[in-house]
Amino acid sequence: MDMHRRVPRNIHPEKVQLNNWKDTVKRVWNYLDARKIKLFIVFLLTIVTTAVTIVGNRINGLVIDDYISKNQLHALLVICSIMAVMYVVSSFFTYFQNSIIIKVAQDTSARIRHDVFTNLQRLPMKYFDTHDNGDVMSRLTNDVDNINTALMQTFVQLFTGIISVIGMGMAMLILSPLLTGITLLSSVATYFFSKAISKITQKAFMTQQRDLGSLNTQIEESVSGKQLVQLFDHTESTMSEFDRTNGEYTKAAFKAQSLSSIIGPFNNMTNNVAYLLITMAGAISILSGSKAITVGTIFTFLIYLRNFTGPINNVLNLINTLQLSLASAERVFELIDEEPEQDNSDAVAVKQTAGNVQFDHVTFAYDKKTILKDINLTAKQGEVVALVGPTGAGKTTIMNLLTNLYPLKKGRVLLDGRDVTAIHMYDLRRLVTVVQQESFLFTMSIRENIRLGRPSATDNEVEEAAKQANADTFINQLPDGYDTILTENARSLSQGQRQLLSIARAFVTGAPVLVLDEATASIDSNTEADVQLAMTALMRNKTSFVIAHRLSTIQRADQILVINDGKIIEQGTHQSLLAKHGFYSELYNSQFDITN
Amino acid sequence: MFKIIMQHIHGRAKLFFFMSPLIMMGEVFCDLQQPTLMSQIIDNGLAKNDLHYVINHALLMLMFAMLGLIFGATGGTLGSYASLKMGQQLRSHMLEISLIDRNPGGLEPATLITRITNDVTQMQTLVMMMTRGMVRSPMLLFGGIVMSIIICPDLAPILFVIMPILVIFLLIVVLKSIPKYTKMQQAIDTVNRIMRENLQGAKTIKSYVLENHQMNQFKDENNHLRQTSQNAAMATVILSPIIQLMLNLGVVVALGYGGSLAISKTISNGQIIAFVNYMIQITSAMIQTVNIITSFSRAITSSARVQAVLDEEPKKQVTTSSNDKPVDDSISFDDVTFGYQTSEPILDKVTFNVPDGDWLGIIGATGSGKSSLIKLLTRSFDEYDGIIKIGGVDIQKMNLQDVHQKMTVALQDSLLFSGTVRSNLTYGNESATDEDLDVSSDIADASEFIDKLPKRYDSVVEQTGKNFSGGQRQRLNIARSIVPNSDILVMDDATSAVDQETNARIKNRLEKYRKNKTTIIISQRVTNVMDCNQIIVLINGRISASGTHKELLKESTFYRQLVQTQLGGGINGHA
Repeated sequence: MDMHRRVPRNIHPEKVQLNNWKDTVKRVWNYLDARKIKLFIVFLLTIVTTAVTIVGNRINGLVIDDYISKNQLHALLVICSIMAVMYVVSSFFTYFQNSIIIKVAQDTSARIRHDVFTNLQRLPMKYFDTHDNGDVMSRLTNDVDNINTALMQTFVQLFTGIISVIGMGMAMLILSPLLTGITLLSSVATYFFSKAISKITQKAFMTQQRDLGSLNTQIEESVSGKQLVQLFDHTESTMSEFDRTNGEYTKAAFKAQSLSSIIGPFNNMTNNVAYLLITMAGAISILSGSKAITVGTIFTFLIYLRNFTGPINNVLNLINTLQLSLASAERVFELIDEEPEQDNSDAVAVKQTAGNVQFDHVTFAYDKKTILKDINLTAKQGEVVALVGPTGAGKTTIMNLLTNLYPLKKGRVLLDGRDVTAIHMYDLRRLVTVVQQESFLFTMSIRENIRLGRPSATDNEVEEAAKQANADTFINQLPDGYDTILTENARSLSQGQRQLLSIARAFVTGAPVLVLDEATASIDSNTEADVQLAMTALMRNKTSFVIAHRLSTIQRADQILVINDGKIIEQGTHQSLLAKHGFYSELYNSQFDITN
Repeated sequence: MFKIIMQHIHGRAKLFFFMSPLIMMGEVFCDLQQPTLMSQIIDNGLAKNDLHYVINHALLMLMFAMLGLIFGATGGTLGSYASLKMGQQLRSHMLEISLIDRNPGGLEPATLITRITNDVTQMQTLVMMMTRGMVRSPMLLFGGIVMSIIICPDLAPILFVIMPILVIFLLIVVLKSIPKYTKMQQAIDTVNRIMRENLQGAKTIKSYVLENHQMNQFKDENNHLRQTSQNAAMATVILSPIIQLMLNLGVVVALGYGGSLAISKTISNGQIIAFVNYMIQITSAMIQTVNIITSFSRAITSSARVQAVLDEEPKKQVTTSSNDKPVDDSISFDDVTFGYQTSEPILDKVTFNVPDGDWLGIIGATGSGKSSLIKLLTRSFDEYDGIIKIGGVDIQKMNLQDVHQKMTVALQDSLLFSGTVRSNLTYGNESATDEDLDVSSDIADASEFIDKLPKRYDSVVEQTGKNFSGGQRQRLNIARSIVPNSDILVMDDATSAVDQETNARIKNRLEKYRKNKTTIIISQRVTNVMDCNQIIVLINGRISASGTHKELLKESTFYRQLVQTQLGGGINGHA
C-alpha cells in the first residue's frame, strides 16, 4: 500500500499508432489458424452470394430488354423462376456465412480473453502497482470487443467489398463505360466528402470531447462531494459553474453535430444526383440512336448504384477500422506478453516449515529508489515481532519481501535457513499467511470467502475458523448467515467486520508463519476488542510479524523493530526500548502518554 | 419519457423539436419523387423521342435532390439543436436535484453520476432520433408504399403480401432475441466483475495462492459468455438473409408478373422499373426502422432511470426563517429521535447540552448514530422529533445558510475537489489570505508536505485528490475546515487515516487554537476525546453515559474497556 503512493502511475494513453502491425496481424492470424477451413468456406460462400447479386442485377435489365420489350412471356417466366431459385440459395448461403463468422469471432475473442486473463494471473505484484486498473480493464473489455467486431464485420465486408467492387465494376464496365464512370464518381465523391467533413468536424468533435470531459468531472465531483457542497453552502456557486460548462459543451456539441449532420443528407443527394445522371445520360444516349445503352441497362445501373456505393465505402473505410482494431489487438497482446512471475530454476517444493525467519542484509529498491537499506532481523519459531514506525517507513515493504512478492536488490530472506527465492512461490505463500489492512473480499458467499484460505476446508472448519476469529456472531445475525453473498468488496459490512472475515480466512490456512498488518485505526470500538482478541488467538503458536499500531499488541511482542526511513533504527523489547529514551520512547510518549 | 422531454425543452428548442420532423418530411418527399420522375423519362421522354422532356425532368430531379439536401441538413441541424438543449436542461436539473436533495436513503452517488452522464446522453440521442430517424424511416416506408401504389396499382398486391410477412417475421425475431441479449449482458457483467476483482484483489490473490481458483472461475464464466453471445447473435443472424430474400423475390415477381402485364400492354417498362426502385427504398427504410426500434427500447430504460432521479425533486421549501439570531455558540439537543420509517430509530431520545465555548467529545461504534447526529445538527436531514438549538434558537427556525455559516464540519471522507490546494483550502472562505492558510495548515500538520510541493498552495489537485496520499488528503480536509474559523467546528472522525503521532500533534494544536470556542470531536480514538469538557458515549443511538474522562472511567464499562484495548493496561495507573 505504501508503494502505491510513491510510484508514478504508468498509464498508457490511447495509442492509435501501430508499432508493429505485421507482427500483430500475424498473431491475430495465429488465433484464426485453427478456424482456417471455416474461414475458407466463408470466403467461398461470399463469392457465391456476391456473384448472385451481380448476376441478378444484370438479369433484371436483361429481362426488360430481351423478354418484356420483345414479348417473350414464356422465356420471361422461366428466367424469373431461375432467379427465384438463385436468390433462395444465395440467402441460405448468407445465413451460413454469417453464422460461421459469428462462431469464429466469438470463439476467438473468448480465447484471447482467456489468454489475457491467464497471463494477468501470473504477473508480478509490481505490474499491478504500476498499471492503472482502468487501463487494464479497458484492454480486457473494450479492446477485446474491438477485435471481436473487427473479426465479425471486417472479414465479411472485406470479402464482399473486394469481390463486389471487382465483379460489379467489371460487369458495369462491359455494360457501359459511361454509366460506370458516373456510378464510380458518385461513390468516390461520397467518400471524399465525408472525409473532408470529418476533417473539419474533427476539431469541433475534439472540443466537444474535451468539454464533455470537464462536464463529467464536474458532475462526478459535485455529486460525490454533495455533503461538502451542502455544508459549505456551495450549491449555488457549484450550479452556476456547472451551467457555464454545460453551456459550453452544448455549444461545442452543436457545432460538431450540425456539421456532421450534413453528411447523411449530402450522401443522399450525391446518390440522387448519380441516379438522375444515369437516367439522363442513358436516355440521351438512347435518343441519340446509340445502341450501346438500353432501358434495361439504365435499370441495371440504377440497382447497381444502390449495391455499389455501400461496399466501396466499406472497403475505403475498412483501412480506418482495421487500423483501430489492430491498435486494440496490439494493446491486448502487450498484456499477454508481459513477463510473468516465475520460480527460480533452483526452486524446490517445500511443504512444511518450523517458522524461523531471517532477513540477511536485505536491500530493496523500487525502480531506482531505495526503499529498504540493509535490513537484518531474526525471528525464531513462535516469536511475535512487532514493526513500528511512521507511515511510509517501509514496514509493509519488509513484509512483502517475506512472500517473495518483489525481487530483492541485495541480501537474502531466509525461511528455516533456506532462501525464499529457492522455494516454489506457491508453496512459500501457502506457508506464510498474510492479513492485509484491507484484505479483498470477493463476490461470493461469506463461507466461500473464508474457505479461500484453504480450498479443501470443510464447512465445519470454516465455521470453526469464524468462531475463532469472533466473526461467528455477526455472521449469524445476517439474514443468510454464512451463505450471505458479499458484493463490491463487502461494502455493506463495516471495516471491522471485514477485518474479522479476513482473520477467519487466515485461521483456515493453518500456516505456521503469519504477517499481520494492523488497521491504522478507525475500526469501530465495538469490534475493536473482537479484532484484538481474534488477532491474539491467531498469533498463538505461530511466528508472527505484526505491523502494529496498538499499544497492547506492541507490549506483547517478543521483539520490537523500530523502522524509520527504510532502516531498522532500534530493536528490543518494550521495556528495554523505553529505557533507551530514543526514537521509540519519543514515539510512544507522543502517541500513548496521556498524562502530559 | 415524452413527459421528461417536454419538461426540459423550451423556447426555440421546443419550436425546433416540432419543426425538424416536418422539414424531414420534406426531405422524404423529395426522395420519393426520384423514381417516379425517372419512370416518366423512360415512358414519356423515350417513347415520344422528346429530348426536352428528358432534360426538363432531369432538371426537376436535380432540383428535388438539392431541395432534399437543404431539407435534410436543416432538419438535422434543428434536431441536434433541440436534442442538445434538452440534454443541457435535463442535466442541469438533475444535478440541482441531486445537490439539494437532503432525503436520507437517496440514490448512491455512483448511480446518480451515471444517470446524469450516460443516461442523459441516451435521452439526447433519443430526441435526435425522434426528430430524424423516427420520422424519416417510417415516412419513407409509408411514402414508398403509397408512391408505388400510385405509380403502379397493378403490382401493389406484391407489397401487400411481402410487407406483412416481413413485419411479423421481424417482430418475432427481435422479440425472441431480447431475452438472449439480456442474458448476454449479464454474462458480460459477470466476466467484467471477475476481471475487476482480480485487479483490485491482486495482492490477496497472490498471498493466498488463489490464481488457479480464479482461473477456473473465469474459465467457466468466459465460456458462458461465449455461449450466450453466440446465442444472442445467432438469434438475429437470420434477419438479413430473410429481408434480402423477400426483397429479391419481390423484385422477381414484379418482373415476372409485371412483365406479363407489360407484354399485354397494361403497364409500361418505366412503371416496372420505378416499382422495383421503390421496393428497394422500402426495404432499406424497413431495416432502418427495426434498428430504430431497438435503440428506442434502450432509451426507454434510460428514461426510467432519469425519471427516478427527477422523482427525488424536493417539494418547495417553506422557509420559516425568523429573525432570531443565536445569542452565543451553545448547542442543545432536547429529546431528539431520528430514524428511517421502517427500521429501529438511529437516534433515540438524545438529550445533551454544550455550553458556549465548550468542547464535546462523542465516542461510539460505527452505526451508533454519531454521524447521524451531526447530519441533524447541520440540517442535512430535517425529519426528526425533538428540538435542536444553536445559541438558544431552534435550528428549524434558522435560515439554512445561517446554520451552515455558523459551523464548519470536517468529514471523515476527505474528498478534495480538482483545482489547486488553495482552491480547496479556501472552499469555506474564499477571502482567506495566505497567512490564514498557513495557520490552518500548520494546525492540520499539512504545512510540512505543502511546503515540499513545488508550487505550494498553487499545486494542482487532481479529481478526488488522488495525487495525494490518504493521510495528506485528510490533513488538507482538516485544514479546509479550520480556514473559515467558524463559531462552531465539528470534527467527524476526521483523523482516521493519519498515524497516531500526527493525530496527537493535530489534536494538541487544535486545542490551543480553539480554546474556549465550541468544538465537537467525534472519534473512535479515546485519545482524541478524553480532554473534552464533556464526553458522550453513544451506543445504538442512545447516550449510554456522559461526563469527563475521569468520570467515565469510573462509570462506563464500555468506555473503560475501550481505554484498555486502545491504551493498554500500563496507562490505567496514570489516570
